[in-house]
Amino acid sequence: MTSLLWTDTRQLDALGASGPFRASRSVPVVGVDGTTLAHLSLVPKLYIKRNLDALRRAHPMPAQERAQCLAAAGELFLGEVDGVSLREHELAVCRASGVAMPVVRRASLSIAESARVAEESVQQARPAGAVNDWRSGAAAGTVWVRKGEVFAVLAPGNHPATHTIWLEALAMGYRVAVRPSRREPFTPHRLVSALRQSGFGTDQVVLLPTDHDVADVFVREADLAMVYGGDEVAARYGARADTLVQGPGRSKVLLADGNHEQHIGTVVDSVIGHGATACVNASAVFVNGDAAGVAAEIARSLSKIPVRPPEADDAVLPAFGIDQARALEKHLRSRLGDAKLVSGPDLVAELPGGGAVLRPAVVLLDRADAPQVNIELPFPCVWVAPWSLDVGVDPLRNTLTLTAITPDEALLSRLIEEPSIRNLHIGDQPTYLMRPGLPHDGHLAEFLMRSKTVMRDLPVVPEQLRPKDMPCLIAKTNNG
Amino acid sequence: MSKAVATADLDTDRNWTESEFISAAMEWHFSPATGSPFWLERAGSLEFDPRRDVRTHADLRLFPNVVNELREIPLEDLIPRGYHGQADVIGSYDSGGTTGAPKRVALLADWFERSLAWKSGRMDELGFPTGANWLTVAPSGPHIFGRLMAELPRMRGGIGFTVDLDPRWVRKCLSEGRAQEAERYAEHVVDQVASILIQQDIGVLVATPPLLERMTARDELIDAINTKVKVIMWGGAHMDPDTRYILQHEIFPNVALRGQYGSTMILGGSMERATSEPGDRSCVFDSFSPYTTFSVVDPVSHLDVAEGARGQVVMHHLSKSLLLPNNLERDMATRVAAPPGALGVSVADVAPVSMFEDSTVIEGVY
Repeated sequence: MTSLLWTDTRQLDALGASGPFRASRSVPVVGVDGTTLAHLSLVPKLYIKRNLDALRRAHPMPAQERAQCLAAAGELFLGEVDGVSLREHELAVCRASGVAMPVVRRASLSIAESARVAEESVQQARPAGAVNDWRSGAAAGTVWVRKGEVFAVLAPGNHPATHTIWLEALAMGYRVAVRPSRREPFTPHRLVSALRQSGFGTDQVVLLPTDHDVADVFVREADLAMVYGGDEVAARYGARADTLVQGPGRSKVLLADGNHEQHIGTVVDSVIGHGATACVNASAVFVNGDAAGVAAEIARSLSKIPVRPPEADDAVLPAFGIDQARALEKHLRSRLGDAKLVSGPDLVAELPGGGAVLRPAVVLLDRADAPQVNIELPFPCVWVAPWSLDVGVDPLRNTLTLTAITPDEALLSRLIEEPSIRNLHIGDQPTYLMRPGLPHDGHLAEFLMRSKTVMRDLPVVPEQLRPKDMPCLIAKTNNG
Repeated sequence: MSKAVATADLDTDRNWTESEFISAAMEWHFSPATGSPFWLERAGSLEFDPRRDVRTHADLRLFPNVVNELREIPLEDLIPRGYHGQADVIGSYDSGGTTGAPKRVALLADWFERSLAWKSGRMDELGFPTGANWLTVAPSGPHIFGRLMAELPRMRGGIGFTVDLDPRWVRKCLSEGRAQEAERYAEHVVDQVASILIQQDIGVLVATPPLLERMTARDELIDAINTKVKVIMWGGAHMDPDTRYILQHEIFPNVALRGQYGSTMILGGSMERATSEPGDRSCVFDSFSPYTTFSVVDPVSHLDVAEGARGQVVMHHLSKSLLLPNNLERDMATRVAAPPGALGVSVADVAPVSMFEDSTVIEGVY
C-alpha cells in the first residue's frame, strides 16, 4: 500500500521566502527500523539570515484573514498536502519518531483543531484591560501589541503535537521561522506547506532545516525565539529575555488521599498518555503511604501494555532504533543506585521489522529527595517515592504539570502558589491533559505580546463612520 | 610511463615530462650542494633514496608528512643551499595555527613572482578586469593570502586598497566563549570595508567568505558591490555550495564570484576552474601543477579515493624554493580529474572536516 512512498525517497526541501529550496547538503531522516524515509535539505547560515530579513520586511495579514487561513490550513493538513495523503504522512511521522500510530493520529486532529481555534486561544491570554485594535479603545487605554515581528521556533521531534503551539504566533501576526528537528521534520514541513496553500504568503512562515551548529543564528537574528531542550539548553538560553525555553518537563503525580488503589489508572495514564514521549508525561510519583505497594500496582498495570510496532493500530509504547533503545536502558540502569527496578527484567523488546520498543520501567525509591526523581527519559519510566506532609513541597518543585490527589486544601494552595510548579491538576486529571486555551506552559502570548498605553485627544471614530480602507497604524509602523 | 607536463621548471620554463620534473626536483633538494639543511638532515633517515626512487608524482607519497616539524625549526634550515646564501626572502608565513603552534615556511622571491604570474594568467581567463582598483580584506600577515593578493593590483594596473584582519584573534575569542568580542571585531572590519567600498571606485573585492556574508547584512554594501565591483574573489576559508549559489544568484547577480583554495603550507592557492557550468553548485579548483598539487585520500587508510569520491585533501609543494610533499589538510573534497597534462588531481566542494564528522573545528572570520 505504501511501497510507492518508500521506494522513491522523499526530498524535504527548505520552504523559504522565495519558494522551496533544495540544498546541496542533506541528511537522511531515518526511521526507528533503520530505513531512510526522506532526505532533509540543510540550508546554510546565509539562507537563514536572508529569510529572517524577508520575514521582517513582510507585513502581517489582517487578523481575521490570519484566523481564516489558519483554520483552512488545519483542514488541509487532514487532507492531501504536496501529494501526500494524511495516512502516508502519519506513517512517516510514526516511523521517524517512533511515536505510536494512535498517538500520531490524535496529534493530527489536535493540530487541525489548534489551527482552527488559534485566534480564540490567543484571546484567552489578552489582559482584561487591553484591546486588540486601538480604534476600539477608550481615549486612554492599553492596546495589545506584538513585542516583535519575527518569531523563530527551534522545534522538537519528540511529538507531532508540539507544533500546535507556534500556530498561535501566526494568529498574533508574527512572521514565523520554524527549524524542524532532523528526527521528525515531516509534521512541520506539511504544516508550513498547508499554511502556504491556505493563504499565508511565503514571507509569513518559512521552514528552515539546518545543522545544529547554526541553530544559534535563529536566536540571534529573530526578534523572539522558542527553543526546546534539556538542562543544557535551559542553561544556555534560560537567562535570555528574548528566548522562551521549553525545558525538561519532570511532571509528577502526588497520591495523598489514602485511596491509592483508586488512582492507579490516573498514574498510568499520566505515564503513557500522549505516547509517553512528552514533557507532560509523569516521570515521578509521590505516595503518602505504601509506596512499594503503589509501585508494584503501577508496574502490574503498565506490564499489560502489549509490545507492538509503532505503526500498529493498537500501539502504545514508543519505539527507537535498536542502539538507542539499548543505550537508554543502559543509562537507566547506571542511574539506579540503591533504587529498585520493580518492572522488568527485560526493558528492550526488539521488533521483528527492526527497531525496538522500551517496556515501561517503574523504579522504587526510598525517599522523596532522592536525586533520581529528576530523571526524565523519552519512554515510560517512572520513579516512585514515599512522601509525607513533613517532607513538604520541596520534592514537588520544578514540575511542568503536577497532578495532586489530596483533599488537603492548605497543601493545594501552597502548590498553586509555588512558582516552579507550572500547572496543577487536582484529582483524577492525568498530567498529559491539555487543550487550546488551557496551555501546558503558560500562554505563548504572554511571551510574544504586551500592553501598550495609547492616549489621544481625538474622539473615538464610531465604526460605521470609518472609511473601509483606513490603514491600521500599528501595521504601518512595521514599515521601518 | 611519464605523461607530458605542460609548463614546468625549477629555474626556467621547459617542456618537462613528469619524471624529468620530479627527478630534477629530487636532485635539487637532495644534492648536498643544493638541498636545504632540513631535507639533507632527514635524507639519511628516509627508507628510500629520493634521487633514485622518486620519479613520479605518485612516488611523492613515499615521503613522510613532515609539516609538524615546521612548528619549531629555524626558518633558515628550509632554504636550499643552492641559493648560495643569496636567496631573496619575501618573508616568513604561517599556517592558520588552529591546531597548536603555527607552522612556518619561507616565501622566496622567485616562487612569489612565478606564482603571481600564474595567478594573474588565471585571472585573465576568469574575466578579471585590468586597470581596476582592488579592495583586499585579508590578513597582511602572518598568512600568505593577503600578501599574495596585495601584489596583484600592482601587476594588473589598479590601486590596491586593504583592510587588515587578525583571524587568530577571532578564533581565540570564539574558543574562549567570547563570541561578542569576535562579533565586535568583525563589525569593526566591515566598517572599514564600508568606508572604502562606498567612497572609492573598487572593481575587484577580495574577502573571506564569513566577511563577505557579513557584508550582505548591510544593504548599502550590497548596493555598492553590485554597482561597482566586477569580480569578487573569495578565499582563505570555505564556502559551501549553497552559500555560493545564494551569493551569486540572489545577492550579487551581476558580479562574478570566483574562489581560490590554498594553504600557506603550499605557498599559495589554486584557482577556481573557469569552465564551471552555470547553475552547477560545484566549485572545482585546479592547482598550479606541477609545483603545487593535490591528492584526495581516504581519511582512515590514506589511500587515494576514486574519481568522484570524497576524501581528505593532501597538498604537495615542489619548487626550487621548497619541497613539502604529503601535507594532510583538515579539509574534505571530491576528487576531480586534473586538466590534461597536470599532475595530481583537482578538488571540488571543499569543506571542513567538521561538516562530515562531528568534531568541532572553529572557523570564525578567516
